[in-house]
Amino acid sequence: MTEELRVAVDRKPNGAVLYTKGYINNVGGEEIANRAYELMDDNVRTLLLNLRDTKIVNSIGISILIEIIEKMIDKGGSIAFCCLTPVIHKTFQIMGLANYARIFDNEETAIKELGL
Amino acid sequence: MSPLVHQFAEFLHDLQQLERAALSAHGTLIVDAFTKHTPYDVSAVYLRDGRGPVLRLVAKSDACIAPDLIESEEIEAFLLDPEPRHLIPIRTIRDHFGIIALNGDAASDEDLQMLHAAGTFAGSVLSNHRMAQEMREGDFQLKYRLWELESLYDIGLSIAGTLNIDALADEILFRMISLINARRAALFLRDGDKFRVYRSFGDTRSDFLDDEITDRVVAAGEALTFEDASECIFPGCIATVAVPIKGNNAVIGVLAAGDRETREGDVGAFEANELRLLSLFANQVAIALENARLHKEALEKQAMQRELDLAATIQRDILPKSIPTVEGIELAALSRPAKQVGGDYHAFFQRDGSLTTIVADVSGKSMPAALLVSAFHAAVQLLFAEGRELGDIATELNRHIHSWSAENKFITMIMVTIDPEAETIQFVNAGHNPCYVLTGDHIEQLRSHGLPIGILGTSKYMTQTRPFPAGSAVVLYSDGINEAENVAGDEWGNEVFEELLALRSTISASALRDSIAEAVDAFVGEAAQKDDQTLVIARTAM
Repeated sequence: MTEELRVAVDRKPNGAVLYTKGYINNVGGEEIANRAYELMDDNVRTLLLNLRDTKIVNSIGISILIEIIEKMIDKGGSIAFCCLTPVIHKTFQIMGLANYARIFDNEETAIKELGL
Repeated sequence: MSPLVHQFAEFLHDLQQLERAALSAHGTLIVDAFTKHTPYDVSAVYLRDGRGPVLRLVAKSDACIAPDLIESEEIEAFLLDPEPRHLIPIRTIRDHFGIIALNGDAASDEDLQMLHAAGTFAGSVLSNHRMAQEMREGDFQLKYRLWELESLYDIGLSIAGTLNIDALADEILFRMISLINARRAALFLRDGDKFRVYRSFGDTRSDFLDDEITDRVVAAGEALTFEDASECIFPGCIATVAVPIKGNNAVIGVLAAGDRETREGDVGAFEANELRLLSLFANQVAIALENARLHKEALEKQAMQRELDLAATIQRDILPKSIPTVEGIELAALSRPAKQVGGDYHAFFQRDGSLTTIVADVSGKSMPAALLVSAFHAAVQLLFAEGRELGDIATELNRHIHSWSAENKFITMIMVTIDPEAETIQFVNAGHNPCYVLTGDHIEQLRSHGLPIGILGTSKYMTQTRPFPAGSAVVLYSDGINEAENVAGDEWGNEVFEELLALRSTISASALRDSIAEAVDAFVGEAAQKDDQTLVIARTAM
């Protein structure tokens, strides 16, 4: 079972898709944040996080994701998620992430809806 | 608006930005606002760490030499170089947030009032900022508790509905790690006296839970923390927690987790609320694991029953569907398979006015026995079709079964050929019970004269011949008849069997069969039939 989180970035004409693989905890969350902030500094304002290969998120990981969302909102951009496991989807709803970030079932729909 | 008021409004507007800015940007924003809107240079800005007594240096001029931390509001006690002209507190009536050290010319009373008013305003803004931050954290904590409760509820539904133990183990591990912010975890399941790792996440020390830790967790019956490096469950862990998974009668597993994360990026000990949560979680897991175990057992029973049904079908299909009609010989047979399929076999062959009957018993039960019976049946049919004599057939059967079957499989067998015209009986008894020949009131046993079929590949069997006067009967049977047991575990036995045969030696084959069956049933009573029962009786006409 993968312990450390790995992040891959796919730049799109109007934003970027971040693919995560592994555990979104403190270390994993910071890794996502670093990549997201780099993209924000590069004027990317629409980010899609594809969590298809992530099965576990803990509360610290969630708080970091919230910080990323808030930072993007401050910059006038938006963050969305796709391909969540049912457990993570419910977690995001309860923890309020779904109030500030759109959640899509699949990447294709997300890219189309976000205009990436 | 007068220029002074306008300038002061702009000053406050710039300080207002503190409310939305990150904590790390506060020092810079204060320096910028005071530098832009007052005639003074900011030499240093100290802000309080949370609600604690320590003030931390968050911004300073290049020329100023200032300590990073000061322990109280008594900044005058600390030497700033150069010594500041003015110290402006950042505070509200309730809270003190920090202090701004300014350098420059002497200030008028009005200037000082403005500076203090700005400091108070900055304090109010920081107070709002802190309240908003605390509300957000409180909201997060509230949602987090809700998530914990929802998770426990979901776990109950989800893992109780997951009957595949592998999928269940993954679900258990993921949920536990997530709930208590662990970096490492393992699910141990009982394996004899030990607990073996069934699923793990991160680095685990070995395949088994340490014996001493096992004893302590089982004895405690609740979640325990281990904070001594020497007793850590995972290598190099600062702290671990282990909780027993209690089944109906015993501890069936242990959940262990280590390296609890903190928001600061460190790892630390687990807290009391997390131990409570883990104990509740373990209760749910116990139910789920028990369900999965019962489900697995039910599937195994179903599979076993299917195998037994199939074996019974194979055996049923190869036994004679009816008794042949042979001129001058009355035949009667009984075949009662036990509930658990055994390996009794019987067959009839006619050749040139004579009748051959076989009764055999294959070692073992269930599918292996049924398959061996099937192979035996095929070989018997083939060899009789070739017209061989009994000894030759037995020898060939032995060679075939010995090479085909597993090492510990064998078949006891008796074959008899009755020739009514010659009034003889030929037989081969390969390790089977002796059969009885009834002639008038005389009873003779045809005993075994060779090893069971399949024991030794080189065994040879010779045909034995005895007189069989008209009106004689032969009684072949399997050990399910003479070894039938009653509820007390006593066997019916050959002695009683022979007494019955002596009393009924002249009755018809079918009447004798029924008489034996009734006697056996009466003896067995309510006891379950343990073995197949086969009985074949042939009597020649007078």
